[in-house]
Amino acid sequence: MGIKVMVVDDSSFSRMMIGEALVEAGYEVVGEAESLELLIETYNNCKPDIVTMDIAMPGADGFECSRELRLNDPKAKIVLVSSMKDEESEAEAKRIGVCGYVQKPVDAETLVKVIQNIMSPDSLFEQLLERGLETFKEALAQNVTRMAKTPVTFTSIESCDTPYISQGITTVIGIIGQSAGSMIMDLSAEAAEQITEAMLRRPAKNQEEILAMVAELANIIAGIACSMLNKKDKAFALRVSPPSLFHDNTAEIVSPSVKIQKSIAETDFGSIFLGVGFKKGAKLWM
Amino acid sequence: MDVNMINPILIAFADILPQIGFQKIEKKNISLLGSTFNYDGVLINLAVVGAIKGVILIGMDIDSAKRFASTMMMGMEVTDFDSLAQSAVSEMGNMVCANACTQFSKVGINGLDISPPTIMFGQKGQATLSAPQTIVIHFLVDNIDVRVYVGLVS
Repeated sequence: MGIKVMVVDDSSFSRMMIGEALVEAGYEVVGEAESLELLIETYNNCKPDIVTMDIAMPGADGFECSRELRLNDPKAKIVLVSSMKDEESEAEAKRIGVCGYVQKPVDAETLVKVIQNIMSPDSLFEQLLERGLETFKEALAQNVTRMAKTPVTFTSIESCDTPYISQGITTVIGIIGQSAGSMIMDLSAEAAEQITEAMLRRPAKNQEEILAMVAELANIIAGIACSMLNKKDKAFALRVSPPSLFHDNTAEIVSPSVKIQKSIAETDFGSIFLGVGFKKGAKLWM
Repeated sequence: MDVNMINPILIAFADILPQIGFQKIEKKNISLLGSTFNYDGVLINLAVVGAIKGVILIGMDIDSAKRFASTMMMGMEVTDFDSLAQSAVSEMGNMVCANACTQFSKVGINGLDISPPTIMFGQKGQATLSAPQTIVIHFLVDNIDVRVYVGLVS
């Protein structure tokens, strides 16, 4: 079976041009829509693998139609095909979860390349799954050893699905880039206090100082790990958010949209939980 | 308090929530806290990176989160805040924050991106953000108390 494509465009001429290019490339055009009206119904009836979507349409535009499609089917794979293409429309498309973006007039070869990339395994994402946690572990080990003068060894946690309960202080750092994700670092208040003392070479004055140390440590680990990954392949384009800290209770931590890979770092001061996860990003923008 | 930081989030809430089954979205009040504040129940953490950065947190107590998820799932009974309910409220967080980024772009703050949501839930804890001040918007959404904590800096 070939790849099934649905074409959404208000212009019958554009639908014909895009459709012919797709058929010539061996794809099957299984449905067409010219507006939000009948979009979902057609999509649900013809069940395409890919939807090409115009942006400028009367009534609901391509962004709104894409949002509706993704609400109807969060796995819907959408390629925007539009003459409009600027920084903000690209950012908006990525936020909605659009997979690709091709500028009109459509170059058949480009459109086919984008669709092929979307339908093939995401090699950058696969690399992140393979190297991500190891790189973060390396950054943690290096920096905890350097700053707190303690050896670090790791024990892995096999199951990704078991909920994780905080030991006391949790730091969450958001990661954005080609694939967005999160780093979660968690340790007990006692371990944090001892690491702070080792780093400052004196006891912490108060809890603020301990929390500031934890936030800074997490920030350094995430920043260095993302830089290491970006150096391996600049297409990752990873950037980190400032840290959020959660403390003074035993909260459960979950990331419903991301599979978190987990590891435990054992130090002289106690264990540090490290969780890293990424989700598939947009595939190709041309 | 920088109104430019709040308006896009207010608009995003009013825009997205009716699309996922809610009818009455009321803004009760807006207050200002320091970088550390108490929470009880569920906190959905969404990091923001770009010209402004930090975090948007959406908080509810556990019962409210279950009611919220139930409405999103067209009235399906939600007795536990289980993985399905967690997925529902995190998807809401994702949609609201993505929409807020779009609203920010309309006031000239372009190219913002958000991380996937992380949920913390437990009894009475504290959160400490890197922004010196946290703006708290208290919404009543179909009589469910929802607090949005905005810790963003430019």
